[in-house]
Amino acid sequence: MRDGINIAKLGIPAVSLVTEEFWPQGDFVAESLGMPEIPRVQLPHPIAGTSTQNIKQVAAEIAPAVIKALEANND
Amino acid sequence: MTELLNASDEAEALEDLHRRGLTDGLPVIIPTPARVTRMVLASGFDADMVLGTMGPGHGIATIEKVAVAAVMSGCLPDYMPVVLAAVKAVIDPIFDLTEMQATTHCTAPLIIVNGPARHTCGPISSGYGALGPGHRANASIGRALRLAMINIGGGRPGTSDMALLGHPGKFTFCLAEDEENSPFPPMHIDLGFEADDSVVTVIGAEAPHSVIFSGDGDDPESYKALLNMLAIGIANAGTNNAILTGGTATIVLNPEHAAILDQAGLTRQDIAEGIYQRSSMTEKEISRLAPGFARKDSGNRDAFKGPEQLLILMSGGSGLYSMVMPSWCAGAHKNSASSVKVESEFFCEVPGLAAQTI
Repeated sequence: MRDGINIAKLGIPAVSLVTEEFWPQGDFVAESLGMPEIPRVQLPHPIAGTSTQNIKQVAAEIAPAVIKALEANND
Repeated sequence: MTELLNASDEAEALEDLHRRGLTDGLPVIIPTPARVTRMVLASGFDADMVLGTMGPGHGIATIEKVAVAAVMSGCLPDYMPVVLAAVKAVIDPIFDLTEMQATTHCTAPLIIVNGPARHTCGPISSGYGALGPGHRANASIGRALRLAMINIGGGRPGTSDMALLGHPGKFTFCLAEDEENSPFPPMHIDLGFEADDSVVTVIGAEAPHSVIFSGDGDDPESYKALLNMLAIGIANAGTNNAILTGGTATIVLNPEHAAILDQAGLTRQDIAEGIYQRSSMTEKEISRLAPGFARKDSGNRDAFKGPEQLLILMSGGSGLYSMVMPSWCAGAHKNSASSVKVESEFFCEVPGLAAQTI
């Protein structure tokens, strides 16, 4: 979340990827850094340490949402 | 003045503070204006003086807000200079407070006090059970920092403090060094301070892990076995120190173990060097034990960048056990310790003040 906000503050369209377990923390960080509306896409939890195949599958599933958020962010 | 809450009595006020998530789960002393004012007065600073911001919520730590935490935790006004130094230590960017509060690791701020403030702002215990119950200054100073981290920094479990379990030192985690009985110079002198300075050092630390060792008076080399055991404790394969590496970690020697090392002619620096050299694993061994953290390169992975990453002090009662606190090893500054000189020259001792905390 913090990385996404830092990139967004540079004027570069950004989407934060946040797992469902960390979604409330993401909201807290976005609020505390003054960018509560930073676009974000939810990932299943856990993601770290799951198989390469699973991560590829998750990536394929969320890619449209990431692109959509980036396009909206660029308007 | 901070916005005030209202309640018909102290019992109702306590329940209100619990409901609002403003406590650590234990009862607190209600921070009434009179109590907070006394605590501010004792600090010798203006209530609205800003110490800095505390992450992850980026709340502004003023003297008054820290005084609120100190009252709630049960501090005597005498302790205020140490509490303020501890808050300043975690605010220093080198401490990475935001990341430290937010991490899934269990890290908690361990407060180590050196110098005359151990007596004038306490007594802060350095003896039997210094990290356990029964020592008011240790208990309430550490708790004051935690309450500041909750109420000023905004660290709350599950939303902004993501520690998977945490550890009991997250309630309070404060001790002094037993300078009077240690064979080594006080830790703050080796950190570059003057002998008559009072210094608060804060370091993110796991719960203490006990290291058992009994010396052998017939074997002049037995100190090497002690160094081996301390190294195993501080950087065993399950620690972040062994796997992530490069973070500062703490070793609390008991008097016997300190004496064994001193009698072998070792200085604090020698001890750190000895433990550093023994805190290394082969990449092959790491790939066997923790394949998820394997690296392609061969050779060794040192737990520490150098001996200076080992914070060594002597505290506690006499016996077989030293304590080691492995650490988180992450954040931009890799779990650095932060040392702050206690400013007590402005401390205002009001006659009868200490008895008026309730």
